Amino acid sequence: MSDRSKTTDGTVRERGADASESARGTEPLLRIEDVHKSYGDEEVLRGIDLEIDRGDVEVLVGPSGSGKSTLLRCLNRLTEVDSGHIYLGETEVTAPDTDPNAVRQQIGMVFQDINLFAHLTARKNVTLGLRKVRGLSAAEARQRADSELDRVGLADQADSYPAQLSGGQKQRVGIARALAMDPEVMLFDEPTSALDPELSNEVLEVMQGLVAEGMTMVVVTHEMRFARGGASEITFLADGEIVERGPPETLFENPEHERTKQFFESIRHE
Amino acid sequence: MSVADALGIDVGRLRESTDDLGRVAMVVAGIAFWGWLVTRWLYDWTLGRWGIGPGAGENVLSPAPFEQAAAALEGSVVALGPVRLPVDWLATLVDGVALAIDIAPALATGAWYTVVLTTVAIVLGFFIAVPMAVLRVYGGPFRWIALTYTELIRGTPLLAQLFVLYYTPYLALWLNDASVVGQGFVPDYAFWIAIIGFTINGSAYQAEYIRGALESVDEGQLTAARAIGLSKLEGIRHVVLPQTLRYAIPAWTNELVYLIKYSSLAGFITVPELYYRASRIASSTFEYTPIFTLLALVYLGIVLSATNLMDRVERRYAVPGIGQAEGRQQG
Repeated sequence: MSDRSKTTDGTVRERGADASESARGTEPLLRIEDVHKSYGDEEVLRGIDLEIDRGDVEVLVGPSGSGKSTLLRCLNRLTEVDSGHIYLGETEVTAPDTDPNAVRQQIGMVFQDINLFAHLTARKNVTLGLRKVRGLSAAEARQRADSELDRVGLADQADSYPAQLSGGQKQRVGIARALAMDPEVMLFDEPTSALDPELSNEVLEVMQGLVAEGMTMVVVTHEMRFARGGASEITFLADGEIVERGPPETLFENPEHERTKQFFESIRHE
Repeated sequence: MSVADALGIDVGRLRESTDDLGRVAMVVAGIAFWGWLVTRWLYDWTLGRWGIGPGAGENVLSPAPFEQAAAALEGSVVALGPVRLPVDWLATLVDGVALAIDIAPALATGAWYTVVLTTVAIVLGFFIAVPMAVLRVYGGPFRWIALTYTELIRGTPLLAQLFVLYYTPYLALWLNDASVVGQGFVPDYAFWIAIIGFTINGSAYQAEYIRGALESVDEGQLTAARAIGLSKLEGIRHVVLPQTLRYAIPAWTNELVYLIKYSSLAGFITVPELYYRASRIASSTFEYTPIFTLLALVYLGIVLSATNLMDRVERRYAVPGIGQAEGRQQG
């Protein structure tokens, strides 16, 4: 396990270095500054600050209601922040004059309840964005979709409808759909929690593959196997605040805060 | 051992062959029905107008032999004693055939108006209904526009709506001023009033059906559409509506069936459709029962054709996991 995390880490750092040389210096790819969000009287995000480098895999963990999914949805403006700023590279995502549709093309998202377009085949699920958002021709979109489906190991299911796929297969199509848009960052909102454990594995394998390719990822998950093996940093949130952040080994073995320790112990017992 | 086994009858095959027989009978009846209507329409528009054959609206077949046969049967009734009743029924039936032949041209012409009125109104109404339903569900502060529209239209009688439109001088004058109205193949202005009335009325009901279907599509679908960079409207257009319309087909078929029958109300504003024709003939001949029975049969023919067509549409666009065609697709 630790071996794998080291090699993954190595790849990640290499990729990160490439990117920083080519364009943005040492700027983090994703910068979150003092983000607040309330639903009614309940403040679900109470000033989140986070910087994620290109090629990093940030795993967000925490008890339910801690605000991790809300934070994720703020990143591509599916939820609007009340105050604070989010930057993707040079672009301020949260700026009023930023077109959220343009930002969302650069930020892929994978959902807990998968949300494949139910009336479209696996291939058409992938081509829809390519055709209608990217404006690709039918032939180009099809070619791209088939290669993305191949990447998640579902080339043979391209003509199946969502209702004909297993949960794990559906989620892999969901990942392919997001990847096809060539995002700079991939957001995963509990991608395996609606799946049976044996179906989770195939999804986690695809995600590990993305880690190895150097994709920048922000992942909300309860899958500690993935967090251990794939994360560059783990952020522990509780009650809308970041309690602790650090590399997996530190947070798992040697957390600073009692709250973090309790949380990891509680999920170990599950 | 059942009777069927004893007789060496394969029940499964028998059932299959009666099913087939039923299907064949339906197809034959459908071809005969539409064959009659279309032939009549085409004849009336072309050869009938040019003075070839009996002329537009006139009978091709003569009802005379059937009338004579019926009269003969009725005349023999008294002498027959115990078989009197069945012969009497037969006489009524033959008389009905004679009547059917007699009024068939009028019914066919009326059916043309009924079919056109219904088809145009349902299609135009659909294009009003979809935006109304979308406005109602996703319109935010503008939902009340759609709400007012549907409640106003659904809450008032269709006949009252037709009369209001028919007697509105502005609309009548404007339509009468249009020089093409009532000329050649272009129907009279009452017809256009009826189209407007049924379009508006049908659109309100269709909007309600579509709204129901819109709300049954999981909201995660639109979220996912937006997450790949589609705007809200694009997401509705490409992701939500295609699913909605599949869910809505059964209810929408229902609206089509209603509209076919409600189109008879156009007769009250003098559109010469099916009901209007039949009631005119009935009030001059006093043969109410047979005439309205024949009228009902023509409506039945149109309605069955419409439901059959919609069933095909539903199957054609069926997708595994969506709507009610799913179960029917298996086996």
